[in-house]
Amino acid sequence: MTRALDVESHDTASEGTAPSRTEEPRLDEVFSFKELARLDEALTMSSRETGLRFTLYVGELGTPTRRHAEELHARSGATPSDAVLIAVSPGQRVVEVVTGAGAARRLPDRACALAVLSMTSSFGAGDLVGGIVNGLRQLSDQAGHPAGLRP
Amino acid sequence: MFDAEWYLVFAGIPLAIVAVLALLTLRPGKDRRPRYKPGQPWQHAPVWFEPHPAHVGGGSEHGPAAAHGPAAVPGSGTAALGSSMYPEQPGERALESGHGSGPAVATGTARPVGGATAASVPPPAGPLGGARGTW
Repeated sequence: MTRALDVESHDTASEGTAPSRTEEPRLDEVFSFKELARLDEALTMSSRETGLRFTLYVGELGTPTRRHAEELHARSGATPSDAVLIAVSPGQRVVEVVTGAGAARRLPDRACALAVLSMTSSFGAGDLVGGIVNGLRQLSDQAGHPAGLRP
Repeated sequence: MFDAEWYLVFAGIPLAIVAVLALLTLRPGKDRRPRYKPGQPWQHAPVWFEPHPAHVGGGSEHGPAAAHGPAAVPGSGTAALGSSMYPEQPGERALESGHGSGPAVATGTARPVGGATAASVPPPAGPLGGARGTW
């Protein structure tokens, strides 16, 4: 419908100008809305269950991927110590899980490796969202529900 | 034996069934996005998803609570529509090219503990753990 209105733009936007509404990428460009809802729920519920802050990055990672993922992790929240970053780079076929010091006490590296293993087996079959959701479930199961969060 | 009726029954009907099934499965879908296959290049902008902030007291249970403000991209007045999806802004990428780190995420929040911005540097997270996998 709006396609007919997308005539040539005459605006004076420069490099520093924020993108206009028509130039913004579609929200469901990568994942469908249904998949986005699944990801959203998995992230939110596992974060609320465990008290850790799970964030998910999907996109290209700079090389070395580990260092880039750690840089992302350092900026993933107000308290990166309690943050868990899952960085998936489908183009490079790499998934990195980064846990802060506080989160690592409850999520040992072996648990992360197990979750990564289940994620990669789904990713290898082409199921990105299913792998991420299952990995989040494993991680949050492992981290458990601290007594301080119980009502 | 091999008259027109025979051909119609034993060739026409199976062909019709196959054609109907093919039409149902191969029809250009309304919402058909290219499915990810391992080994394909990934040509989408990076996305960073973060959990919804927990609602502390009051407010409605549905949708983003007004107390936290809408989930927003720094520097823009637009809000994510009930989703925790933050497309990377081109400006951020240009800004951080010198440091080589990823996009910044911020929750538009009035609380002291909220999302981080590139400006406020959070305390270091100590020794990092985690795991790495390839497929």
